[in-house]
Parts: sequence; C-alpha cells; structure tokens
Amino acid sequence: MAAVAMAAACGRLLLRGAAARPSRCFSSSGCRSSTDGDTAKFQPPPKPVIIDKQRQREERRYLSPEFIPPRGRTDPLKFYIERKDMIQRRKVFNIPEFYVGSILAVTTADPYADGKTNRFVGICIQRGGKGLGATFVLRNVIEDQGVEICYELYSPRIQEIKVLKLEKRLDDNLMYLRDALPEYSTFDVNMKPESRLDHEEIPVNKLQVRMKPKPWSKRWERPKYNIKGIKFELPEKKMKAAEKWSQPWLEFDMLREYDTSKIEEKIWKEINEELKK
Amino acid sequence: MAGWALLARLGARLRAAGAAGHRGQLGPVARHGNDATWWHEHLSEENVQFLKKTTAEEYKAQTASKLCPLKDEPWPLNEWKPDSVRVGVVAVKLGMMPIWTKSGKKHAVTLLKVQDCHVLRYISKEESEGKTAKLIVGGKNVSPFFKSEAAMEIFKEAGVPRKQKVTAFNVTDDAIIKPGTPLYAAHFRPGQFVDVTAKTIGKGFQGVMKRWGFKGQPASHGQTKTHRRPGAISTNKAAKVYRGKKMPGKMGNVYRTSYGLKVWRINTKHDIIYVNGSVPGHTNCLVKVKDTKLPNYKDCNKNPPFPTFFADGDEKLPEDLYDEEVFQFTDPSVTYA
Repeated sequence: MAAVAMAAACGRLLLRGAAARPSRCFSSSGCRSSTDGDTAKFQPPPKPVIIDKQRQREERRYLSPEFIPPRGRTDPLKFYIERKDMIQRRKVFNIPEFYVGSILAVTTADPYADGKTNRFVGICIQRGGKGLGATFVLRNVIEDQGVEICYELYSPRIQEIKVLKLEKRLDDNLMYLRDALPEYSTFDVNMKPESRLDHEEIPVNKLQVRMKPKPWSKRWERPKYNIKGIKFELPEKKMKAAEKWSQPWLEFDMLREYDTSKIEEKIWKEINEELKK
Repeated sequence: MAGWALLARLGARLRAAGAAGHRGQLGPVARHGNDATWWHEHLSEENVQFLKKTTAEEYKAQTASKLCPLKDEPWPLNEWKPDSVRVGVVAVKLGMMPIWTKSGKKHAVTLLKVQDCHVLRYISKEESEGKTAKLIVGGKNVSPFFKSEAAMEIFKEAGVPRKQKVTAFNVTDDAIIKPGTPLYAAHFRPGQFVDVTAKTIGKGFQGVMKRWGFKGQPASHGQTKTHRRPGAISTNKAAKVYRGKKMPGKMGNVYRTSYGLKVWRINTKHDIIYVNGSVPGHTNCLVKVKDTKLPNYKDCNKNPPFPTFFADGDEKLPEDLYDEEVFQFTDPSVTYA
C-alpha cells in the first residue's frame, strides 16, 4: 500500500514538475528533485509482507499419480472403492509428496532382518501402477553393486517413507540410470534430509548423466523414449540413424490424448474432503 | 451388441411375417433409415421417449416392491443342514486389486458386483426332470425393447425388470426361494469358498502353440516353413486321426469355472464380493458365483445365511465384512516384533 501511495504521489509531483519545466523528460532524477522540493513528508517503510502458507499450499495442488484412473471401460465404481481404501490408509500413515528423481528413505518391516526392520535409501527412478497397487522403485549403488527395490505404496509392511531430497529430474522415468555411470545413482545411506519451505516450487535438477559404453538395456537415444537427462556421447551418424524412428505425427493424434484435468479436479475435491474428516 | 441387434432384427422379421399373414399385406418389411430395431420404425420420436420413461419408472417400482416381501406370503424358511445346497448369485466382474493380510502378505482379489440380482423362477424336481430342483436367477437390468414377448414372459411372471444374464442353479428342496426375491452380496460371508463360472475371453482361431501349448519347431537349422506347426498328427499304423486330437481352432469364449476361491471381504453397501485370485472372463462380464462344491472346504462353508440373506431381516450388517486375516487400513502398519 505504502509503495502504491508513494508512486501516486510521485506521479502527481512529476506531472507538476513537467508542467513547470516542459523541456524535462519523465525520469527518476526529475522525480527525486521534485520530492526534494515542497513535500518532504515522512514516508514510512513498506510493511513486511506476510505470506499465508496455508493458502500457498492450496495453490500448489498435488495429487498423487495413482489416484488418476487409467483410461478404459472399467466401471468408475471400482476406482471409487479402491480410492476409499487408499484414503483410509493415508489417514493412518503419512505418504509424502515425492517425484521421480527425489531421494527417499523407506523403512519396512522385514521378518528376516536384524531388529525386524529394513531401511533403504535411494533415488526414485519409476512410479508405476494405479490405485491400491501403486509402486515406486528406489535405486542405489551399495558396495559397487547396483540395488533396486520396488516398494508398494500402500503395503502395510512399509513403516515410514521419508523424503530426503525433494526434486524432479528432466524425465519421468529414470530407468536409464542402470546404464549410466554408477556415480549418478550412488547416494549416501546416512544422508540428512534437506529442509525446504512448503510453498516453494519443486526444483528441477537439470543434471545430464554420462552413460557407460554401449550396449545398453534399451536404445535410449531413440525418440520413442524422448530422454533429456542423458548426455549422449555417440557419433553423429548414430544419432542421425536414431532419428529415423521418430514419429512426429503422433502428437497430432487426438485419439491418443487423455485429458485428465477434469478427473483430477473431481478426485482432488473428493480426497480433500475425506482427509479433512 | 451386434448380437442383440441381430436378434432384434430376426424378431422384427418374424413379427412382420406374422402380421403379413394376418392381414395379407406386403411380405418382407422394407428397412429404411438408420433404425437397427423394430420398435423405432413404428414409433414417433415422442412415443419412443415416452416408452423409455415409463419403462424406467416401471423398473423402479418393480424393484422397490420386491424389497418388501411382506406384501404377500413368503415361502417357509428351513434350517441349514450339512447336505443343503444353496442358490448362487449372478455378478458383474469389476476388476482386480490387491489386499493384504495381517501377516503382511499380499493377495490379488477380484471384485464382483451383485447388481440387480433376482430369483426369477422355481422349477421343481419333477418339472426339471433332473436330480434336483432348480432356481432360475437373473442379474443386471437391461432394456426390454430388444427381446421378444415370449422371452420376456419369465420376467413378467417374477415381476422384475429384464435381466441381461439368466442362469439356473441346482438347489436342494429346503433351499428354495420365492421368485422375485432379490439376492445380495451378503449371501456369501468372508472366509467361505466359492466357485465362479464365466465365459473366458475369446481368442479367435489360434494355432497349436497358443491353444494347446505345443513346442513348435526350431527357428533355424534348416527349417523350411515349419516353425509353429503341430508336426505329425498320428501314426502310420493307426492310419487315422484319433478323436479329440489337439489341433488348431477357435480358442476361448467357452464356459470355465474357477474352483475353491476364498471370499476375503464383502461390501454390503455396494454389494461387492472380494474373491481370491483371478476369475474367467473379461472386465464387466457377468459371472455365476456359488458355494464351492469341493469337499475340502465344507468346514469353511458352515452355517451360511439360509436360504439367502434378506435385507429386511433381523440381521443388521456393517458396511464392510472382513475375513479375520485381512489387514484393515484403519490399523497401523504391520510389524514383526
């Protein structure tokens, strides 16, 4: 408010100044010189802006991807019934917001482990499944050996899911880390969680990984995978050859489009109402 | 869908032929426009709308009246005996989801929805000329406009809307139920075992490798045009092909039964049965569910609601019935301490 009032005052003064001396153009110097003149009133400093975190959180909506039903002819009732169980589990157990590329620590109950629990730290390289059967895959390199564990999000054996570092990567699926140099999927087991404010945007890590020499598990350079997070060090000829598989017409295929925005809106409302109860 | 349309067309032909016989008018009916059904042809747009509206109302009234069987005398109820055989239900397959037990083990379950399931007719042992009496049961309401009058008679007698799937269950004489009684998911109880019958997914004409699991022939090493073929089908001495020889042909689209599936959970509000494992048929197909006939599970199926669960009875059920082993999501996570 104070800033607005100041600007308005300046504007008025400026106009007056311009009228008095028409040769002068609008400029900050003119403003200053005119404020120095007749109205030397005290201007209080602008008040600190208080951000309502609660409202900010509402603005950035996050709906876990397993809530969005796959397209098909299944009765929506089936998804509704699954959703009820999912919400019930979320009421008892905190499933945090995380993305592919985030680093998580998951503690599970394990009858064969020491102390009957097992903790694993790794980067989330894939989120799969819809509904109650949703899964995520964590990857880490432990003693020079790549380890991947696929966890069920709603399994009652999971004791705790902790997000150590919340960030996104350039891709929605990081399965190529299997063929990348091990340093890119090596994470400290005793990592400390990074603190961040709730209302902040999720940072995108624009890291491009370097790959091991071919052969890879998939031909990641092909346009089908559309991977941005790899620094390809292939010869020009090979990259050109891979382009041969591009299907640029697919993006214009309207039948392939699956617009979930309306469904998301509905489900978001339903879940929020339920979780508040 | 095509099947229904075809049936309707056939009905139309017969109907038209009958009418022609009476009045001595034109023989075959000339088809015009986009009408796939006989009743559109003779009715104006308003009449069609009116018919649809009245039928929907009638259906509602019929279903509502059936919920209260006190209107006329119900049939006598008997006590359950170990050799009694109950009626089953017709359900819609919704799809699959996981379920966890209290020990943290995961099981896949199939969701079966008991939708508008009614008993349609009782056929006594003498009438059916079989070993037992029969109860005809139907499930899932559909439009009556695509069925002939003769085929609609069974629904009119029972006073219920037309059903998509009608099937018979063999029952003992003490388990008979009055036609028109609705059946619910609570007919089954968690912990018991059921058999589920349905038509498997049609695969069309398939070769022996897919249909019977033959090994086929090697891909290389001098093979010419022989990779997925059956090979020899008989011997020189037999000099004939034995009956029942496994050969290429139509695969799937036949009735199959999965036996001894455990009921993990029942939802009484939406009438859903959670049955262990997979069930024949595609999603949204209609399946037949009944108490298992496997002798090993007889102990688990003791004292069920007999002859069925009545919604207006004394028994008040919670929304969800669980087997005692099932992990419930209101509980905290599983630990092995």
